[in-house]
Amino acid sequence: MRFLREENIPLLLHRLSESATVWAPQVVRDTVNTVLFSPWLEGAEVETGLYSMLSAKELVLPATERLFSYRYSQAGGREKIEINADAPQEQAAIFAARACDAKGLAVMDALFLDRSGASYNDGQYRARRSGLTVITLACTTCDSACFCSSFEKGAAETAGSDIILYPATGGYLAEAVSKRGEELAALDLFRDSSLEKPELARTAKVELAGLGQRLFDIYDDLDFWRRTAEGCLSCGYCSYACPACHCFNIFDEAESDRTGGRFRCWDACMFYAYTQESSGNNPRPEPAHRYRNRLAHKFSYYPLNRGEILCTGCGRCIRGCPAGLDLRDAIRAVRAR
Amino acid sequence: MEDLISAIKKVLEQVDVVLGWARSEAAGVAAPAFFHTPAEAEGAIFDSTCVHNLAVHLPRLADKKAGIVAKGCDARSIAQLIAEGIIKRERVTVIGVACPGVIDVKKAWRCFGFGKRVSDSGGQVAMEGKTVKREEILLRKCRGCREAGPVIRDVTVGEVGKAPAAPADPAGIRKRFAAMSFAERRQFWQDQFSRCIRCYACREACPLCFCRDVCTMQAHEPGWSGGATNSSQSWMAQLVRISHMAGRCTGCEECERACPVGIPLMLLLEEQNAVVEELFGYRAGSGTEAKTPFLTFDVNNDSWEQER
Repeated sequence: MRFLREENIPLLLHRLSESATVWAPQVVRDTVNTVLFSPWLEGAEVETGLYSMLSAKELVLPATERLFSYRYSQAGGREKIEINADAPQEQAAIFAARACDAKGLAVMDALFLDRSGASYNDGQYRARRSGLTVITLACTTCDSACFCSSFEKGAAETAGSDIILYPATGGYLAEAVSKRGEELAALDLFRDSSLEKPELARTAKVELAGLGQRLFDIYDDLDFWRRTAEGCLSCGYCSYACPACHCFNIFDEAESDRTGGRFRCWDACMFYAYTQESSGNNPRPEPAHRYRNRLAHKFSYYPLNRGEILCTGCGRCIRGCPAGLDLRDAIRAVRAR
Repeated sequence: MEDLISAIKKVLEQVDVVLGWARSEAAGVAAPAFFHTPAEAEGAIFDSTCVHNLAVHLPRLADKKAGIVAKGCDARSIAQLIAEGIIKRERVTVIGVACPGVIDVKKAWRCFGFGKRVSDSGGQVAMEGKTVKREEILLRKCRGCREAGPVIRDVTVGEVGKAPAAPADPAGIRKRFAAMSFAERRQFWQDQFSRCIRCYACREACPLCFCRDVCTMQAHEPGWSGGATNSSQSWMAQLVRISHMAGRCTGCEECERACPVGIPLMLLLEEQNAVVEELFGYRAGSGTEAKTPFLTFDVNNDSWEQER
């Protein structure tokens, strides 16, 4: 294990920023304690006391990204169209991601970078992901929205991270969990240490076993779903904050009558428009239908199809829900039904 | 709390559901609750953590008779909804409560952390031994609150009659904004809206937004504000929403509270509300019979033409 002294943190961030954009949780200026991962500038304060409102997923799946641009031109009396694909080349590092954020990246890797080739291998995602270094801050404390201990490894999860920093007296114990992490830990900012890892946070738990089938069993019980989703305002915050939600839509946008581009943008199954069909029919007209889908996709369809739950227990959907809904209450209600 | 619980139980005899608050065990503060039975109503609470404006649910319950626990500011939304014919007076029973002002949950998180059980008495908010003056962590809207009590109410719980005495925010962002040049303001909003992720929590938390599922911000044909979240598009989309709130916004601040990325939407709405009040002498939500200035246009009686 290696050790990083507290006062070396700015030096580490500085070092990283020489070759990459460094993202870190920071309080947004002019706001009341709104914490977001945002590009770190020299001297800026990193916020590790409050959790960020959004996960780290925007680094690999931005809220909006251009896939290609187009340009019409006249050549020899004929209309020509020129298409230029965007190839992200950003080098980025995220500092003080949490184990739940990093695990979210691993969950998305399995979907976007299917190495078996059985499904899609996304070039845009791959480019961003391969340029990303993930420096995770291990949680020794948690709040009551956290529920990562519901999963096998809990706060000790290492998937998706390159290096993990464990809080210790005067600094952080550093454990490399990837080749890139080893290169980082080899920097002269770190020194060897024989300290023991601290005890990690143990969060509230919600029982997830058997949920996959249970959700199928009660699929048609619309009264139950109406009751469960009763307070839901049907906004997209939970989906957009979620480290594992990954739905997107594609938009073609013109910049002028001759130029424009194709964009990939986040989308959320909590929106009415998400399932609006051109016929006029909408198979999920009520928030209840949409809430059911969101829960079942996370805890039933996706795990049954691909072996992984689309949730890492980060608790953002609970902390930030404008309507004060608690996903765990819904899970408990499903189990009790 | 006994008075509130018995009031809710009484109202439940005549309605299908009562909207109120119950303690969220996870958050330690209040969460909206739907009381269908007297047994459920036992969990009802009202304190300074009851921040949500429950009026947002009323249009969605149009096929039901509903009761609702309302603070002064919430009652303005209910009155405006009735005045606009969005909900029917006879289908809603308002339980007006005396409000001490509600706290900004994000300020409380900073003081106590998320999920610590709050107690609130005598102007002091306490969590696990730590105490903060309620006044210090109030929501912005509660500073300079003008509500002496819920403007519309069928049942009253507690002693209403005076607005919570919190001085208006003197060094607020609004004052600083007023001193900016137009170029600076433009830059300010470009920066703010660069964070917008288009989750539409602002729209969904607003009791007066009624287009909902067919919102222009998400329309595909024509795509008025596009799908790509760039700062200008998001700003434009929000300005469309806000301009439709002229003479309708009651200043409940729910859009700003719901915004996960902290865009100061009330800066725009407060300014607009002030202009409407100055020009038309109208404050949205003043009464159930009030006519919203922009809903009074009559093509056969164009007084503007005549005045000219």
